[in-house]
Amino acid sequence: MTSAPVEAPVEAPLELPLEERELDVGLSAVTDRPWIVIVWNDPVNLMSYVVFVLQKIFGYSREKATSLMLQVHREGKAAVSEGTREKAEADVARLHGYGLWATLEHPA
Amino acid sequence: MSRRFVRKGDIVRVTLSEPERDLLRELPEQLRSLYSSDDSDDAVTVRLFPRAYLDPTEDAAEREWESLVRPELLREKLAALELVVTALDAASPARRGRLLVDLSEDDVAAFLGVLNDARLALGTTLGVTDDLDVSVLDPSDPESAAYAAYGWLTYLQGELIETLLGTMPG
Repeated sequence: MTSAPVEAPVEAPLELPLEERELDVGLSAVTDRPWIVIVWNDPVNLMSYVVFVLQKIFGYSREKATSLMLQVHREGKAAVSEGTREKAEADVARLHGYGLWATLEHPA
Repeated sequence: MSRRFVRKGDIVRVTLSEPERDLLRELPEQLRSLYSSDDSDDAVTVRLFPRAYLDPTEDAAEREWESLVRPELLREKLAALELVVTALDAASPARRGRLLVDLSEDDVAAFLGVLNDARLALGTTLGVTDDLDVSVLDPSDPESAAYAAYGWLTYLQGELIETLLGTMPG
């Protein structure tokens, strides 16, 4: 990032009856694990812009958005939200809409 | 010293010199041809339309996500170009050869997106780094005009963001 001049909601996996869970064990093992959204550092985006975007998309306080931005800046990346694959995919799309570089993955 | 962006009710007014307006007025056409590029491996295209999944085992999910998101993202970006063109073409003259451009809330969002995409495209092409100092340009460097444009767009976007952050919750 350059200078110019986040409360991550966790969505609980669905509780399936035992027999359904056994049938769908492959699918559930993949879909029930939470996903996290990573914002990556890049040399173009302004630090103030990253703060603005995080507040705009996630409704984070200035303090939380700034803290996440600093983590991106100093550590190269930060997890800015978490949830189901669908939610994480939507968050990534919104971040790309603002020109931030974001991806989704399972937590380590 | 007056501020670049001033709020006037629901409108944000930006004051520009003619050369500044002209520079901004070129961005929509340049971005339009970048957006329609067929070269999916080009560094600028990749930066403007990045992947969602880094894990290659998620390639199927990536393709499905791209098929849904990319057309919508492109549509939004193209719409933003139109708003910026309209706003810049509606500039009114002020004192000392300045131009005033009034931006609605939608215009501001479009302006912000166009500035950011222009900087991403220029910055990627120039290979800017985190600590680029645009004040030490060598005018004989053929890329110096591009660096100067990048520096000024960076300043302008910074000013706009400060104006917007000023009215957002803390």
